[in-house]
Amino acid sequence: MFKPLVTSIAIAAGALAFSGIALAEYPDRNIQGTIQWGAGGATDNVVRSLTPYVEDILGTTIVLTNRPGGTGVIGMNHVMRQRPDGYNLLFGAENPELYQLMGLADFTYDDMQPISIIAQGLVVIAAPADSPFNNLSDLLDYAHEHPGELRMGGTGAGGLPSTVHAMINAVDELDVRTVTFGGDGPGITAMMGDHIDFMPLSLAAAGEQIRGGKMKGLAVLTKEEIDALPGVPPITEALPNIADFLPWGPFWGVFVRKETPEDVVGVLQDAYQQAVASDEFTRFLRDYGAEPLNLNGEEAQQYLDNWQSVTAWSMYDADPDSLKATPEALEIPRPAAAKTKAAAEDEAESEAAAE
Amino acid sequence: MSDSLSYLLMAWLDPSLLGLTALGVLGGIYIGAIPGLSVTMAVSILISFTFSWDINNALALMVGIYVGGVYGGSRTAILLNIPGAPSAVTTAFDGYPLAQRGEAGKAIGLSTIMSVIGGIMGTVVLAGTAPYLSDLSLQFAPRDYFLIAVLGLLLVSSLSGKSLARGIFAVALGATIGLVGMDPVTAQPRLTMGSMELMGGISYVAVMIGLFGVAEALYQLHNLAKVPVKQNVNKIVPPLNMILKFLPLSMRASLIGVIVGALPGTGGDIASLFAYDHAKRSVKNPSRPFGEGAYEGLVAPETANNAAVGGAYVPMLTLGMPGDAVTAVIIGALVIHGLNPGPMLMIETPYIFWFTVGNLALANIFLLIFGLTGIKIFSKIVEVPKSILIPLIVVLCVVGAYSINSNMMDVYWMLGFGILGYWLKVFGFQMGPIILGVILGPMLDESYRQAMSSVGDQGGQFLLSLFTNPLSLILSSVTILVLLSNTPLKGWVLARFKRQ
Repeated sequence: MFKPLVTSIAIAAGALAFSGIALAEYPDRNIQGTIQWGAGGATDNVVRSLTPYVEDILGTTIVLTNRPGGTGVIGMNHVMRQRPDGYNLLFGAENPELYQLMGLADFTYDDMQPISIIAQGLVVIAAPADSPFNNLSDLLDYAHEHPGELRMGGTGAGGLPSTVHAMINAVDELDVRTVTFGGDGPGITAMMGDHIDFMPLSLAAAGEQIRGGKMKGLAVLTKEEIDALPGVPPITEALPNIADFLPWGPFWGVFVRKETPEDVVGVLQDAYQQAVASDEFTRFLRDYGAEPLNLNGEEAQQYLDNWQSVTAWSMYDADPDSLKATPEALEIPRPAAAKTKAAAEDEAESEAAAE
Repeated sequence: MSDSLSYLLMAWLDPSLLGLTALGVLGGIYIGAIPGLSVTMAVSILISFTFSWDINNALALMVGIYVGGVYGGSRTAILLNIPGAPSAVTTAFDGYPLAQRGEAGKAIGLSTIMSVIGGIMGTVVLAGTAPYLSDLSLQFAPRDYFLIAVLGLLLVSSLSGKSLARGIFAVALGATIGLVGMDPVTAQPRLTMGSMELMGGISYVAVMIGLFGVAEALYQLHNLAKVPVKQNVNKIVPPLNMILKFLPLSMRASLIGVIVGALPGTGGDIASLFAYDHAKRSVKNPSRPFGEGAYEGLVAPETANNAAVGGAYVPMLTLGMPGDAVTAVIIGALVIHGLNPGPMLMIETPYIFWFTVGNLALANIFLLIFGLTGIKIFSKIVEVPKSILIPLIVVLCVVGAYSINSNMMDVYWMLGFGILGYWLKVFGFQMGPIILGVILGPMLDESYRQAMSSVGDQGGQFLLSLFTNPLSLILSSVTILVLLSNTPLKGWVLARFKRQ
């Protein structure tokens, strides 16, 4: 008589245990992390510094793999083809926001769910130590008198230097020869040998060289002087109108596929928020020339949208032919505040037409 | 000074650092020997792994792996004609024929000794001249890199064996493979035929594993019946008079290695190609003809690629700029450990410099020990019947190709190039020039466009700049000399002079 009961209890217990496994707390195994840039680069450094703190919080291992190539298209494409179960993370920089504009891929971060926008890199316009220019105004004056003569280091279309150049051209005129390098590192090396005259660089890459006296900072891309580079004027000193684009900088973030379950996204968001906020990691970021952002949810989405709109429109205003698609066609709204030359001209035209 | 000395000896006196360096070298030899497992990869995995360690321990392990890994690539190159790493491609040219003569043990012994000599020379140059050498390396403008790439392309005459025409075809094929991917200036896809997979380019390590690994395995199917050569493993350590005889050549090759290694953007792979070419030009009476088992053809690349390690540390330690891919990752490790790699590194934390120098020297001592032990067993690999060895090689190639970027695409490319390489071999093409093209094509593309845009895209200005700067003038003159001496032009010029 008891036998069936015992059996049924056993079955019930078994079933309970089984369902317990099925509903196990996320994460119950290793998480795969894809870094869309190569080993030793800025994204790689930030991610590898942050990951141990996140692993502690989640109690699991995050297996990091670099999948570089195609300005990050390869790595992002890989993650977008994995299962949306939260076990595949994308660690990326700002580039995907411009893929459609540049005609590189038909996706952007809009097709993914941000877990955390970790930090934003500061940008400095640097010149060789023995450069005749002491600030950006000097350089702009010279460039106005000698157009097409100065050599600017770049990293290719859509790279940080080209975007900063576009922003400057959106509010002023800077006609230079662009010499393209494989990244910040080779550009800095060329600058130290006087093979280029200036280059917009991430502070992470250039800070130590400036501190060591091998290069000098002409301007930082902020509205105010920063602690990390005392004596280097903010860019608004030379170009007040550029303030509308700021704050702007390259950023690093963690993303999962859009279809990932909400509770899993929540667990990840909490873990990353806690890890990015940790004192050790914050200190690392500051030393590295970056500003901690630690954004998620609605705030992260707003940040991404704003970044995309500012960057896309300044590139478009500076040289529409360099883009494969117009920001308008991609439904990227024009930044509300930005008073670019083009916008001012449009305004003048419409006013003239109204009269 | 006494401070420097104590930093220098730090790794020698601390048992845990000593142990980690040894472990690194041993691990590095095997990582280097397996095609596809690269030192760069091993070091970047170590970054996460050693995150909570003391920085010295992490650096000791990385230095060990670096030194061991660069050497390890020669093992499989000699034994199987499959270079474990791009910097060992030239080692196979004469190393494999030596193994076919039953001298695998001697070849490995010689390559070990020469690697250690190169490594020590690189370390000495690093210790003695780092600040000057890094200043020199900064003088190289884009136009100079362009000239180096052109000079490199001229190596085709040394690498193409009997038919120069086939060699030139192979270089062009390699260069085209190297151009697939994103255009570096416009960031637009190039030769990708609309495929997203191709946007990252074709991994040249996958090409190398295919051409050398799978193609070689397929080719050896022709000789299945042939009884493997019996290896003479009694004489492993080369006699002293032999080492002394090759010493002048290894010194010159070391110098090539250090300088090429110190240039940001060029590393052991290019250094060993230049050194091999140098040996071929400068040694009038090699022990055997080059390509048939000349010891000189083994000595030059093996010393150069290990000397390049010391060279690669020069810009890294003095300026915080990487000399090659591995030092780029090590710079990342320094950043993560809270140090500031840059020009201030040597001023604020001078011990890092001397610690690295001491550690490199130590790693080379371990290389001597581990390199010379176990050769007997290793050499026996050649005696394994082909029917067992060949499938193993193919499996190893697949694993190696997949592990480059954990991407199946690389495996497909590797297999594709394996089959292509087999047919090229059947029709008398050499694999070396293809790799030369893959390495130099992108360098030529990038440096030419940099040099042109620097002078405002004016062709005349560009040509002028090649002759009006001291460094460029030297490189242009060498290029012209090599071009003349390699072509019928030489006879024509000489005849003109004689007539006058």
